[in-house]
Amino acid sequence: MNTFLAILRKDLLLELRGGRSTTALVSLALLVLVVLTFALDRTAGDGPANAAGALWIALVFAGMLGATRVMVAEHENGCLRALLLSPVDRAILYAAKLTASATFMIVAAAAASTMAMLFFNLEFSGSLATLAVALTLGALGFSALATLLAAISIRARGGELLLPLLIVPLFVPALIAGVKASAAALAGAPLAAAREWVGILIAFDILFVTAGYLLFEHVVGEE
Amino acid sequence: MAAAVIETHALGKTFGLTPVLQETEFKLSPGRGAIVIGGNGCGKSTLLAIFAGLVAPSEGYALVFGEDTRRFGPRYRRRIGMMSHQSFLYPDLTARENLEFYARLYQVSAPREVAESWLARLGLADWAGDRVRTFSRGMEQRLAAARAMIHGPSLLLLDEPFAGLDPDGVARVGTLIKSALEEGCSIVATAHTPFGVEGAEFEVYEIVRGQVVPCQEEDAPRRGRLRSLLRPRPS
Repeated sequence: MNTFLAILRKDLLLELRGGRSTTALVSLALLVLVVLTFALDRTAGDGPANAAGALWIALVFAGMLGATRVMVAEHENGCLRALLLSPVDRAILYAAKLTASATFMIVAAAAASTMAMLFFNLEFSGSLATLAVALTLGALGFSALATLLAAISIRARGGELLLPLLIVPLFVPALIAGVKASAAALAGAPLAAAREWVGILIAFDILFVTAGYLLFEHVVGEE
Repeated sequence: MAAAVIETHALGKTFGLTPVLQETEFKLSPGRGAIVIGGNGCGKSTLLAIFAGLVAPSEGYALVFGEDTRRFGPRYRRRIGMMSHQSFLYPDLTARENLEFYARLYQVSAPREVAESWLARLGLADWAGDRVRTFSRGMEQRLAAARAMIHGPSLLLLDEPFAGLDPDGVARVGTLIKSALEEGCSIVATAHTPFGVEGAEFEVYEIVRGQVVPCQEEDAPRRGRLRSLLRPRPS
């Protein structure tokens, strides 16, 4: 637990100093939302669905840029090698990286959802809890996937190109469920109305957090 | 007789189609120091990376503390300290934060105090609160030496430990290496040419055609991989 906290603390400290991940996440989310606000018809009565779609597109794009930073940053000065050389269990390393990445994404998701509601002229309602649940689960699933795949791609030539090609197709089930759950939440529906979609998000999270936990050791293992 | 700290058998490493190490036999007894010299690209860093368990051999095997490096677990990794070409330091953390972080990873007790004492030993106490990004190459190399030794390893793998150091830095890192040997630590260091640490004894090896052999001409400058390949293969 001490080593988990040491790595997490270090990642959060580096982010507070540099602010690269969160800044990239929020900036890109803002950009995508602005473009989609103008591209989509906000008077057609399907504002919540449009807002949910725009919000998740923004999060996926921003996540690819920012959520993988926690692994990519370890490449500078060979720090990943130092972590692998240390007695830290690979699973703990994965858990710490996942927690840091998910934290950055949740911060970005909170900012992006606020912007989406403002841009799409939606009212704040009691369904914010449903939205928060959907976004948190989505951010966790995306981070689980991104952390695992970033560990693969940083060691591959042209890995930065490889990463989105791997992440997006695998994230599609969670993306669909997230959009549907968020649309229901933004339309004011209670959590029960989005139960099935939230269930898919939970299943996705369990699958990829477990996969990452088990596979990370093999992914970052010896060269 | 105590078991060897490092023992290799027919060790080989190939990157793509390029063989770097071939049928290497190397043995290091506990508490002994060895210097492996050779030119650029001859396989010195690869050899250390294999000993550290970071790179898997393509052929043969390396036993470190009696364990195959392919199966290294946390128990074995804890006993190794490594200085690499890369400093393994976070540029946006301060010198103190870097050492404290690594002390925590190795579960060193009182990590902050230990970090402070290492900074003092390496003459970096005045820069403890400065970010590593602002350090010169030599200061970063000193800090990297402290990072490698902060947990009191039983085996030190030092890849060109004096690279970029000024005379004071060479003296301080040399003193650390000597102290580590005196405390029973085994050391494998690499360099382009043989070096000496006052009061410490090292066996000198060189890499010739991918094999680690005892060095015949300790004072001769090495002229890179081409020279190594042109030399006759040892029988």
